Amino acid sequence: MSEEVQYKNRIELLQGTLDMLILQTLQWGPQHGYGIVQALRLRSGDVLQVETGSLYPALHRLERQSWVQSEWKQSESKQKARYYRITAKGKKQLASDLGRWERIVEAIGSVMYVKPEESES
Amino acid sequence: MKWFPSFGFQRRKRELQEEIDAHLQMAIADRVARGETAETARQAAAREFGNIPLVQDVTRDMWGQAWLEQLGRDIRYALRQLRKSPGFSITATAMLAVAICANSTVFSWIDGTMLRPIPGARDTGDLVSLQRGERNFSPTPPFSYLDYRDLREQNHTFTGILAYHNDWIALTGGAQPERAYIANVSANYFDVLGIKPALGRFFLAEEETRPDAVTNVVLGYSLWKNRYAADPAIVGKSIEIARHPVTVIGVAPEGFVGAAPGLRDDLWVTLDPLGNDVFRMTHRDIVWLIVIGRLRPGVSRGLAAQDLDTQMRHIVAAYPDQHLGDNQITLDPMWRSPFGANGYMAATLPILLAFAALVLLLTCANVATLTLVRFVSRRRELAIRQSLGANRMQLVWQMVLEGAVLSIVAGTMALALTMWTSKTFAWFFPANSTPLALNGYMDYKVVIGIAVSSLVAGMLCSALPAWRSSHAPAIEVLKAESASVSGGSRNRKLLSGLVVAQIALSLPLLICSGLFLRTLRNLAAANPGFQQDHILTASVGLNIAGYSNDEARLIRHKILDRVSALPGVEVATLTDWIPMTLIQKRTDAYPEGYVPHPHESLLVENAEVGPRYFESLHIPILEGREFTQDDDQKTPDVIIVDQTAARRFWPGQDPLGKRLRVGGSLSTVVGVARISTHTFVNEAPEPMVFISYFQHPGFETMVQVKTEGNPADLTPAVENAIHEIDARLPVFDVRPMRASTQMASSFAVIQSALAGMFALIGLVLAVTGIYGVVAYRTQMRTHEIGIRMALGASRVDVLRLVLSQGLWLTGIGLALGLAFALGLTRLIARLLYGIGANDPVTVASVVMLLGAMSLLACYFPAHRAMRRNPVTAIREL
Repeated sequence: MSEEVQYKNRIELLQGTLDMLILQTLQWGPQHGYGIVQALRLRSGDVLQVETGSLYPALHRLERQSWVQSEWKQSESKQKARYYRITAKGKKQLASDLGRWERIVEAIGSVMYVKPEESES
Repeated sequence: MKWFPSFGFQRRKRELQEEIDAHLQMAIADRVARGETAETARQAAAREFGNIPLVQDVTRDMWGQAWLEQLGRDIRYALRQLRKSPGFSITATAMLAVAICANSTVFSWIDGTMLRPIPGARDTGDLVSLQRGERNFSPTPPFSYLDYRDLREQNHTFTGILAYHNDWIALTGGAQPERAYIANVSANYFDVLGIKPALGRFFLAEEETRPDAVTNVVLGYSLWKNRYAADPAIVGKSIEIARHPVTVIGVAPEGFVGAAPGLRDDLWVTLDPLGNDVFRMTHRDIVWLIVIGRLRPGVSRGLAAQDLDTQMRHIVAAYPDQHLGDNQITLDPMWRSPFGANGYMAATLPILLAFAALVLLLTCANVATLTLVRFVSRRRELAIRQSLGANRMQLVWQMVLEGAVLSIVAGTMALALTMWTSKTFAWFFPANSTPLALNGYMDYKVVIGIAVSSLVAGMLCSALPAWRSSHAPAIEVLKAESASVSGGSRNRKLLSGLVVAQIALSLPLLICSGLFLRTLRNLAAANPGFQQDHILTASVGLNIAGYSNDEARLIRHKILDRVSALPGVEVATLTDWIPMTLIQKRTDAYPEGYVPHPHESLLVENAEVGPRYFESLHIPILEGREFTQDDDQKTPDVIIVDQTAARRFWPGQDPLGKRLRVGGSLSTVVGVARISTHTFVNEAPEPMVFISYFQHPGFETMVQVKTEGNPADLTPAVENAIHEIDARLPVFDVRPMRASTQMASSFAVIQSALAGMFALIGLVLAVTGIYGVVAYRTQMRTHEIGIRMALGASRVDVLRLVLSQGLWLTGIGLALGLAFALGLTRLIARLLYGIGANDPVTVASVVMLLGAMSLLACYFPAHRAMRRNPVTAIREL
């Protein structure tokens, strides 16, 4: 049970960000779950390691919200896999997620990099 | 998929498995490509992936279907728990099923009568029944043809207004004449009702008043099926009605039996099919039509009534002489239309439904008691589940689910039972001359009713006990030994409350049923003012079989002569009406010289009766004389009035020799009859005028015979005597008068039978309820009682301890129940006869009965407790 709680917490922690990362990955083309994990790891220079316990719930939730669609296809290595594709609705969502993300980064940045003189005055 | 979430669930589970497999395969393939061995690659990929079932679980949560799987698990758990205590499960289910069935049965009767006033008609909610003038229980047809036509053509608020008039008719042409119920209807009758023909067509507008046309007839479905063997080529054929050839133009669809709620028409013709009723088609003072209108969309009943009232006032202003008396138009929805059976239904059935609802509440209280006791005995299990992490809502949900499972099973049983009980309604109506089509009906409304009541019952039974039980602190329960707490003081209060509720609910049921039963007895014992024990009546279809007036007159005289001469016959006479059969005839009566107030009602009941009628029924003639053979068409018209009419028209004067205008002719009063019952024993007496049968033959020809012995024994002799005159004469409804007059008390029988049954259920539930609770609580206190006895309490002390606790509850229950009953009996006061709504004898005996039964129920556990050996009692934990 504790393990489940841990997973659930992680989903919640990452939720907005993970959704945005998945949608962004799918912008480059349809991809299966394993491919998304690999793509995120490569692009982030091995920093972002997405847990499957977060990834698959997120994918299925995104599908339920109609931000992605899925279909079964053969991969290059002849492996049958479920490919996810971003929808028009998903693209809109990605844009708004990205906008929010940038505002947060900016806001956090302006808090973190305040010049000492200004804060004293 | 969204609507049937379970559909495809297995497929999606399988797909998720495949998706994860693919993920692992690709991970392994990558690792192998990087040079790892197959085995290490597999292990590493699996490690990297993590806990597969867990991933599946959290992913499935995203589907929004997890609740379904959970529900399945919960239901299986609930079923397992219920199987563990079969005694409780069976008892509770059976009690709930009976209580739900009581409700659904009464509701199916309401559904079949009030909610389905005209089977087959479209949107009966838009139909309204028109009444002119005085409102009473079973009014006579209120409109003349010309008034009806003016209203139909001049109103602004109806899409259509139809009119009809019912009569008996004989279907001749076959070997034996067959009696059928026919309706003369306006041409738009079927259109306004929204009925489409099963075969052929219905009437055209131009056929309504065209006497030159060939007479057309529309057959009812069952008549077509039974008498004409469902002949598919019947349309266009000629059949014989009352010895007149008529052409069949259509067949009504199956199920449609006419516009009068609760009555059956067998066939339909136009208003003046033979062209020989010009008089009633052209006179505004001949009222004979029952009128139903269909409101325009969006028009309220009040607005429509205003509209018609305005039109009616114009008509009255134009023809004042034909519209003496009250002309106010009132509209009723069909479910309580005064024409047909629904007026009676609306007065009886909703009250019975209220009683049934009480029974259901009472049953819920009883089952809730059992449930609470059961949950208390399961408190260790609940505590363990709680300490394992189940939250309170989950516990409550699980317990409520058990109640829901019970009530769903009970509801299903009730549904099956109701299929049968809904059809028992017709049993309550004795054989009589009215073509009743009354019965319960099962449709989606009844099913919804059952579903709702079983769900509500399930909630009531389990929610409260579940909520209470989930309160128990887990640690305390697990630590403490079971005997030391009898479920906690909160549970004790709830148990007591439930017992009080059961007694308080059963008391009004018992009082009402007592009042109904005594009403029934009073009705049976009441003197109706006439002697009906040795009377046989037989209807002869003279008019309906198409005999001319002269032929009919001759036949009547012959019948009287022949039947009078039969051995065993004391008196034979003619009448066109039998009292207490719910049939009434009313007509306007204007005494000579009497000046009515404006809008004063001048209606009187009337009957055509032959010589020696009053003698045969032992109705005393207080003044003057009764009719004789000589009061025929050669002598001036004479009438006999009853005391009510005499007082109404000539207060303080001698009515003999006074003259009254009835049905168009001025008649002289020759006698005053003592008041007697017309329709109901408990009616407010209406003025009654008797007309000499030989001067104005009634529509019905009924031979009324006073016999020396059992009237039923004379049935064949009377039938033979009539058939000897003419073998083709239809004779029907030959039965003792007592059988016919049972009709007047059939509603009292329904009320008392159902109320009695409900009250019996209530009594059993209340008594078992209090027994169960007192026994249970005494059981829980065994240890304590043992200590008390060891410390010197006597057996009498123990007895008093247990009894007082039960009696205390009974007392509170009785007090609350009395208050409740006083409110409820006011509702049924109208239906009672010869007894007050708060009749002290009934109330006192019911209170005593319930009190005594409760005392008995408390005595057994008290007695058991008293007899315990204190040493074993203390040891028992």
